[in-house]
Amino acid sequence: MSFDVMQSRPSFPRRLLGFVEANGQEAIILAAIILLFVVVGVVNPRFLGNSNLTSIFSGNAYIAVAAIGMALVIISGNIDVSVGSLIGVLATIAGTLAVNGYPIIVCWLAPLAVGVAINAFVGFLVAYVRIPSIVVTLGMLSVLKGGLISATAGAWINNLPPEFMLAQFRPFGVPAPIYFMVTLTLLAALWMRYSGFGRTIYAIGGNPDAARVTGIRIERSIVCVFMIHGFFAGIAAVLFATQLQVIQSTVPPNLELTVITAAVVGGVSILGGTGTVIGSTLAAILFAAIGSALIFTNVSAYWLRAVQGLFILATVLADMARRRRLR
Amino acid sequence: MYKTMILALGLAVGSGGVAMAQSAWTGGDDLPTSPLACDGAAGAAAAMPYDGGQPTAAPDLKGQKITVVDVPKLIGIGYFNATSKGIADAATELGSVDAKTDGPTKANIDEQITFLDNYITSGVNGILFAANDPVAIAPVLKKALSKGIHVVGYDANSTPDAREWFVNQAQFNGIAKSMIDNMAKEAGEEAAFAIVTSTFTTPNQARWIAEMAAYQAQCHPKMKWLETVEAQEDNVLSFNQATTLINKYGDELKGIFGMTSVATPASAEAVSQGGKCGSIAVVGLATPNAMKPYVEKDCVKSVVLWNPVDLGYAAMYVLRAAIDGDLKPGATSVKAGKLGELQVINGSEVLLGQPYTFTKENIGNFDF
Repeated sequence: MSFDVMQSRPSFPRRLLGFVEANGQEAIILAAIILLFVVVGVVNPRFLGNSNLTSIFSGNAYIAVAAIGMALVIISGNIDVSVGSLIGVLATIAGTLAVNGYPIIVCWLAPLAVGVAINAFVGFLVAYVRIPSIVVTLGMLSVLKGGLISATAGAWINNLPPEFMLAQFRPFGVPAPIYFMVTLTLLAALWMRYSGFGRTIYAIGGNPDAARVTGIRIERSIVCVFMIHGFFAGIAAVLFATQLQVIQSTVPPNLELTVITAAVVGGVSILGGTGTVIGSTLAAILFAAIGSALIFTNVSAYWLRAVQGLFILATVLADMARRRRLR
Repeated sequence: MYKTMILALGLAVGSGGVAMAQSAWTGGDDLPTSPLACDGAAGAAAAMPYDGGQPTAAPDLKGQKITVVDVPKLIGIGYFNATSKGIADAATELGSVDAKTDGPTKANIDEQITFLDNYITSGVNGILFAANDPVAIAPVLKKALSKGIHVVGYDANSTPDAREWFVNQAQFNGIAKSMIDNMAKEAGEEAAFAIVTSTFTTPNQARWIAEMAAYQAQCHPKMKWLETVEAQEDNVLSFNQATTLINKYGDELKGIFGMTSVATPASAEAVSQGGKCGSIAVVGLATPNAMKPYVEKDCVKSVVLWNPVDLGYAAMYVLRAAIDGDLKPGATSVKAGKLGELQVINGSEVLLGQPYTFTKENIGNFDF
């Protein structure tokens, strides 16, 4: 008898899946963000106060920016687990230049250049030497982390010049990181959607063999993807380095996981080929909001990890199910 | 039916409330606490038998010239430069002490052991150390004792039987008293405050928080703990957590405790960027260099730690007293120059005294 019911009306997971397919992961994340703000806002209206919204968006913008690059890497069928270490190294480079009196513009641009250079090397190993990206970046994670600790002996960078503190600028009363997050997300999204190279990245991640047949130079494209990712990591590092008066000269714990989670939960298929950077930015905002909400609702911060993990599992499961149905 | 459910619900809520009252503050551990007296009178040290090691057939060098080497965890950082300065100051004061500091440039136990081994071979009368690893350093220290060399530790202990004495920079209840007293002084006896710590299970931080809860209940009963948040040892997370606390409690929040050298400057930064300097007090454990910007602009008034110069100074005096035979197993105190009589605790440890509070007046004298 229940068989008849199921025939006439799809089960709840089916319907949810249908909703995901029709509206995209982005819509779900956006709905989750709105729901979270409404619920926690009712419990404690201060959650929606101007200063708290500012700190949720501005304080975590660097994660969203890094997740843009990560989304591109994952869409291309690769992964980078070293991005946290890279951001730690680039932030330290920016701070070291700043306290040694280099022109501020150099301090801001050097991490971008170094990020691009390091990731060009990573991309080379992945594309031309054909080492799987997880292995290359796992190696890079240790190299960068160890190198950073050896080079700095863990000493913090103090006395940063005020004009260096990009993330503390507030044009028109809005913190600079929010401008970066919004602008970069929109530009990257448009570029991924309409440019030839953007479509190339989807093609490589979706079906490399087909991409090769159509004349795409896969190796060169993958190196480019990693270089772009290094560029975004550089911007993230500058925002990260200029938030506070000191730079810790260490690798922020679990930053790579947070960035990868944002990209994956935002709808970038871990198998490559699909996803958008709007989703990754929304997911980064969602997790920032959850972290803040846990304090407002007196829930232990340990739950943030658990919630992040559940989101990843749910997203990947949905992705798998979707692929199976399409096949 | 409904009555039963409401009753059950009420019981559940009630028991929850009781359980929370028993465990004091989140982030503290469940070990017994020993809060100090409100007026700062020294607590009665629980008698504990001497558990240090003694040098074998050490020569009688009372009043004679001695050679001493100090091997800290690493050299070239501000903190151990300061302990080294204290040791040199004491050596000058004592006269007839030839003290030098040497050690690895990284906090590496293998390198530290090599340094110690070389100095044992070259022949010194006394060794001062701050161990990179309490267990791994023990054999080489015992080797020194077996050759008649006096061994005193400071800052970071070894297993007790591998050295004669250890100069303990601060006890948990001493730090707790200093933190709470400073907060009461700055934010008022009825202040509501929150805590930013590393994690709820980090041993030292959990101990400090438990002692702070006990001392506050006893000596500043009207202060109000709001909550404890975790921030790992992460600068940006600490800043975000402190900012969220400020946003959540608004004007109710009068003070933030930083429990780590990362959390304290980040909390100060959150208060500073939030425009709350003067209305929210930040008191915490931190190193002076990280706090100078906030102390200098009057956003933070008290940074609690110990004075590493005094720590090195005390260690040198303890070593000289051990060599001269003035500090023997079973002693209850030892004279340490300008620091006066230092108390012996925990069998074979010498307590440096009350923690040191860095303020606008003195913080410029420190570089670590």
